[in-house]
Amino acid sequence: MSQTTIQPAISIPPLWATLPAKSFVTVVICTIALLIVCWILAPSSVSLGALAGSLPFAAIIAIVGLGQLLVVQQGGFDLSLAGAVSLAVVTSTHEAHQNNAELLHALSLAVGFALAAGVANGILIAVFRLNAIIATIGMNALLYGGVFAVCGGTPSITTELLANIANGQFIGLPTSVFFALAALAIVTFILKKTTVGRRFEAIGANPRAAQAAGLRVRLHQLMAYVCAQLLYCLAGILIGGITREPTAFQGDSLLLPSVAVVVLGGTSLLGGRGYPISTFIAAFFLNQLSQFALAVGVPYSAQTIIQALALGFGIGVYSIKWSVNSFSQTKLPKKEERK
Amino acid sequence: MKSMTKLLAAAAATIGLATGAASLAKADVPTWCGPKKASIALLDGYGGNSWRQVTTASAKQTVSLCPSITKYEYADGNGDLNKSISDIKGMAAKGIDALVVFGDAGPAVLPAIKSVFKKHKVIVPYRVEVGGKEGEDYTKFVGASFVDDGVSWGNFIKSILPSGGNMLFLSGPAGNSQGLDELKGLKKVLGPEYKFLNPEPFDVTNWDPALTQKVLTAEIAKNPKIDVIISDFGPSLVGALPLFNKSGRSIPALATSDGNSLGCFWTDNQNKDNPDFKLFTVATGNDNARLAVEWAVAKATGGKDPAETIFKAPNFENSVTGVPSKVQCRKDLPGAIYLSSQLPAEDQAKAVGQ
Repeated sequence: MSQTTIQPAISIPPLWATLPAKSFVTVVICTIALLIVCWILAPSSVSLGALAGSLPFAAIIAIVGLGQLLVVQQGGFDLSLAGAVSLAVVTSTHEAHQNNAELLHALSLAVGFALAAGVANGILIAVFRLNAIIATIGMNALLYGGVFAVCGGTPSITTELLANIANGQFIGLPTSVFFALAALAIVTFILKKTTVGRRFEAIGANPRAAQAAGLRVRLHQLMAYVCAQLLYCLAGILIGGITREPTAFQGDSLLLPSVAVVVLGGTSLLGGRGYPISTFIAAFFLNQLSQFALAVGVPYSAQTIIQALALGFGIGVYSIKWSVNSFSQTKLPKKEERK
Repeated sequence: MKSMTKLLAAAAATIGLATGAASLAKADVPTWCGPKKASIALLDGYGGNSWRQVTTASAKQTVSLCPSITKYEYADGNGDLNKSISDIKGMAAKGIDALVVFGDAGPAVLPAIKSVFKKHKVIVPYRVEVGGKEGEDYTKFVGASFVDDGVSWGNFIKSILPSGGNMLFLSGPAGNSQGLDELKGLKKVLGPEYKFLNPEPFDVTNWDPALTQKVLTAEIAKNPKIDVIISDFGPSLVGALPLFNKSGRSIPALATSDGNSLGCFWTDNQNKDNPDFKLFTVATGNDNARLAVEWAVAKATGGKDPAETIFKAPNFENSVTGVPSKVQCRKDLPGAIYLSSQLPAEDQAKAVGQ
């Protein structure tokens, strides 16, 4: 009774708190600004052809970003991403032997490896309490061992069926984008609309409190690594189809972008609330930035610098807001809600 | 008595045959293989791709031609500089007489190479320049003439576009010496009427098919007219080339290096959508390792030095003239083999584990 009378007096939310999350607004504004800059300075980078060619890669960054997001939400880091994606790539291409009939077997094997790696990561980190960075570095080495065991480091040409699926188009968009959208929808729905998801976020925000509340902390943390591996596996399979003759180390170039999109999407590296949609848009932003640099035709060194500056800028934007949050937190609790 | 004569005749014939076979075997021993017994090792900085596996198999086959070689060993640095260095030193410590080194890390492996040379071992770095001097830091460096590749591509481009055109040049990591040498070769032949659309000196692809695809996406969108694409790793283009058709354009002419997957892609895409899709390739250069092995064996066994000191990749396929070869495709074999290699295609398939 007293709560209902006091609460309106102390926690009238400011107007922006009722709007979409700040991270979402920030990343959308940044993306629109980038598209405008692209349109003015390098219109070819936003042409239909360029978008059709580059969107599959944005989709892959988005999928691995969603996987990394789940782990980051539990205050962890998954450095086994590179090995996991590479293993999925070589398993789905090599084990199918360019034979459509063997594709299902190859994909099942890839999913099996992903589940095993996820469970192993989860047990090491959630049950045995190993440091996530150390455990996943070890797992990465193990997964690369798997890459060599499967294919000896030799790339294989993908099967026609997988290439057709991954390179296909549906209502004018590459199919890989729909896979990414499906992954986004599932992650968002589970995180935001199910009890499991709400508990998952609560555990990430404060595992000790969650433990005290009787939540199954270890199981949820373990599942974060398992689900992440499944998402990496999906990304690996798509790369196997999109690039037709992928290298055995295709995951290496995805580790940094995966963390970058999580940060750009506004999720705290300390864990807690996650922003799947913002992460998804950040993947598009990051990919478009690299297409912009390529379209402008600047030297490779400048391309790298442009991307690094943009990333630094993105992180800087959140840092500033973080301090605003900290300041306003003295008046308004529920920091996690407003980020 | 008759039977005794027959027996003697048979014995004489057998001895004659055996002597003939022995002299024939002796005649088959290459001149670079001397009489001194020796052991040899091949050391890769990074052996994890099909090109390296075919190259390693080629080197091994070359070694097997010399009966004076008593032992052949192989080590792969797995892209780890420390392991590469310890492999080089470890092989020398094990008593191997001759080492053939693919120094992927460049000058970073020179101190290890030099330390082995100082122990009076034969050491032959090849293909990737490691710095240093012949006779002081290593026995012999067997390079590849990438400038000649550029010249060959340039001549092909001139033959199909005599009045100039727009070119896109793709190579591996930023600043790699192979790409820079190839560019020198191209510029030797092509005048200012041939315009490079890429940023100087080349579009960076890291020889990664995914990055190649991204780069090509941007270039296709930016340049409405691309007449020819030059690339020093043809097979990495296969995934990206369909982008032209998606944009409603013909795949342009290609001047590149060979690969079975590329040959088959060309064969599969000879249709009305791709009237401009001509293909010219130089050999990918797996046989560079053979020349390096020949030098190492010659020095270690006291054989005759090979005549060549630099590996010149021969021209391989030309879809326009069919000289020296038409475009080749072996669909029954893996895409990741190189039909330009002297190693038989079936043996390559085994080497790449498929």
